[in-house]
Amino acid sequence: MLAYIIQRVVQSVVVLLLVGLVAFSMFRFVGDPIDNMLGQERTGADIERLRGQLGLDQPFPVQYYKFLEGAVQGNFGVSYRQGRPVSEIIAERAPATLELAAVSGVLAIAFGIALGVFTAIRRNGIASHVIMATSLIGVSLPTFLIGILLIYLFAVELGWLPSFGRGEVVDLGWWTTGFLTASGLKALILPAITLGLYQMTLIMRLVRSEMLEVLRQDYIRFARARGLRDRSVYFRHALKNTMVPVITVVGLQLGAIIAFAIITETVFQWPGVGLLFINAIQFVDIPVMAAYLMLISVMFVGINLIVDLLYYFIDPRLRVDRGAAAK
Amino acid sequence: MRLPAIAATLALLATSAPAETFRWAGTTDPQTMDPHAVNTAAVLGFLNNVYEGLLRLDKDLNAEGALATSWEPLGTDGWRFHLREGVTFHDGAAFTAEDVLFSYERASSETADTASWFAPVSEVRVVDEYTIDFMMRAPNPLFPVSIANFMILDKDWAEQNNAARPAKDAENFATLNVNGTGAFRLEERQPGLKTVLVPFEGWWDEAMHNITRAEFTPIQNPATAVAALLSGEVDMINPVPIQDAARVNERDGVQVIDGVESRVIMLGFPHQAETLKYGGDAGEPNPFRDARVRAAVAHAINVEAITTTLFRGAAKPVSQLVTPAMRGYSETHAERPAFDPEAAKALLAEAGYPNGFSFGLKCPNDRYINDAAVCQAITGMLAQVGIDAQLDAMPVANYWPELRADNFDMFLLGWSPGGAFDAEHPVRFLASTPNEEKRLGSWNFGDYSNARVDELLPLIQSEIDEDARQAMLDEVAGILQDEHAYVPLYVQPLVWGARDNIELTQRPDNFFILRWVTVN
Repeated sequence: MLAYIIQRVVQSVVVLLLVGLVAFSMFRFVGDPIDNMLGQERTGADIERLRGQLGLDQPFPVQYYKFLEGAVQGNFGVSYRQGRPVSEIIAERAPATLELAAVSGVLAIAFGIALGVFTAIRRNGIASHVIMATSLIGVSLPTFLIGILLIYLFAVELGWLPSFGRGEVVDLGWWTTGFLTASGLKALILPAITLGLYQMTLIMRLVRSEMLEVLRQDYIRFARARGLRDRSVYFRHALKNTMVPVITVVGLQLGAIIAFAIITETVFQWPGVGLLFINAIQFVDIPVMAAYLMLISVMFVGINLIVDLLYYFIDPRLRVDRGAAAK
Repeated sequence: MRLPAIAATLALLATSAPAETFRWAGTTDPQTMDPHAVNTAAVLGFLNNVYEGLLRLDKDLNAEGALATSWEPLGTDGWRFHLREGVTFHDGAAFTAEDVLFSYERASSETADTASWFAPVSEVRVVDEYTIDFMMRAPNPLFPVSIANFMILDKDWAEQNNAARPAKDAENFATLNVNGTGAFRLEERQPGLKTVLVPFEGWWDEAMHNITRAEFTPIQNPATAVAALLSGEVDMINPVPIQDAARVNERDGVQVIDGVESRVIMLGFPHQAETLKYGGDAGEPNPFRDARVRAAVAHAINVEAITTTLFRGAAKPVSQLVTPAMRGYSETHAERPAFDPEAAKALLAEAGYPNGFSFGLKCPNDRYINDAAVCQAITGMLAQVGIDAQLDAMPVANYWPELRADNFDMFLLGWSPGGAFDAEHPVRFLASTPNEEKRLGSWNFGDYSNARVDELLPLIQSEIDEDARQAMLDEVAGILQDEHAYVPLYVQPLVWGARDNIELTQRPDNFFILRWVTVN
């Protein structure tokens, strides 16, 4: 068990270092930040001076090494755009993204599993067909289009919900939350649906097909033959065995929710790290881009690690196999 | 994180918001509140509401007194400014000549992005508490108006808060805080989220607006900004995407306000390159070195069609590097080359390219309004006369490095004469032979060079007599037009959207001045 964890952690660190290297080798293709930092009246000398000051005249492996040197000490540098420490900016923006991701994640899991089970059990019902058909929208329409459609319907035409922003937030000192005000909660609805819709349909379709698979298995027939009640068969026996692949996907999708919040955040001007990243790309704000990409990869790698470890606890066969192999 | 009390205050305000709360949205958040750190329209335009200069520009870009009540030349040696008495900063400190001197030192320091404004200045002397002299290296009639965006901050405040110099690569107190003399003071600043201004009760001038609170939110996505305006969540947006303007204007409760900016969009050429970079059939020399070929380009482009189809008529065709609203515009050269494909073909044949040639057109796709679409239209029009442009449109962050590396055969450029809004400005930056030391021709990517233009520029800069100065500007405009150094296309429009109950003023520099807003 311990050896397994150590092995996975070492793998994760290698992956992180490689992601960073690739990111730094790509930054020069994003463009040159200097023009954004100097006004119209700059001269060639100003450009060279600032380039030297920022260390942009050095080859990218050197820039990467300097970034790592700072990063291990918790110093991600100063944003080119805002002239403030990147760690401070990201700490300011993270609550917005995490709250949005949490709400859409919960929505996606709750509705995804419920609807998946429902459509599996009543697979020939009219309601199931309707749900399956409409779920195609969630998979096939691009996120920004769903966002814009929701804004035009609920904000512009009906005027029920705000079209942008986070509403009023309550500052807890280390965290800003939109959960405690009415306008904050209202502001969450449309972005959360936009962000979670794809994940929800994905989870729903996965649960449905896994469940149908499980329901065909012998032990379910035997359970029915024993005269167990439907509820017990479906939820105690079938659903539990459906969950292993579902947990893998949900885990990875949680990472995706945070990473793909970029589009939703742009459409709704949601003040999270995704919007920050988009701004950083436009401005070629290398310190912000680097810190964001590293954080996202830390998160993905971490989630993968946790999911791997969770298998252990959910699926006893893995434990037995490993134990046997060790002997 | 900071400002824990603000959220609670906000909750109270939102429920009892008076009608005069004005909320507006723009694409770009001003990246700093420091008036000397970044010289961009987004920053200076915003800070004009909280800081003030010695002079300020009125609705037509004419100079009027702000922190200086009057100014006069000291012969040809410099300028004397008489400062307004009884002005206080937002924190209550009194405004004196020491603050001007300090702000000059700050704004002309090495880490300041505004230093080039003070290149003509040799020395600044405080005469008395309310008089200050700016001494010039050479006579400079335009100096006072050219520093209208030079904003004055309080010396003691800056020094006490360790903000005596602007900083580019470190945090600074003045990045997030403001202590100016302007009509509004900064109540709350959350970079990238929201910036709140409230009227400054101690302002020296009479307030013409009726705003009690103004909130700025950056909204990057144009469709979201339009939705926010239509749903009444903001009172004004800048810009409205051209393609949405007609639809927005039809809705009840909102209006689209059109104007023209001070920005001229033009095509530039490589004047020195031996061969074309893209497309190999033209051979040597590079065809754009021939003025007839450049003239053919000018005749081949139907600017009217571009302005009517791509800009709903809001953009105006232009004949020179500045717009008619600018100082020093040459009335005698107001005629554009006519749209005449036959003449263009004849000129190409005369220049030795009867079958045309192919070349590379570089274009930004996120810098000017509809920039990539304009380039596509131009590509089509040039194809009609037989020259084949390979269009390469890219984000502006990649675009300037490409132009600096001379990777173009033709390029699109927009130019707004910042500072004094004078025709001298584009001559200095776009038409002078590049000279790093003298800070000339720093945006002249095509290395255009004309001895007479180079000779006239310093004379224009130091000529005090208006008529003599205009005669020289006319001569330069004539040379640039005859040689087709650039092909000026149109003046970029300003397209703003506002609720019907908002009255505002569009200034051609695209600055949004809050003290000219009335909420009805």
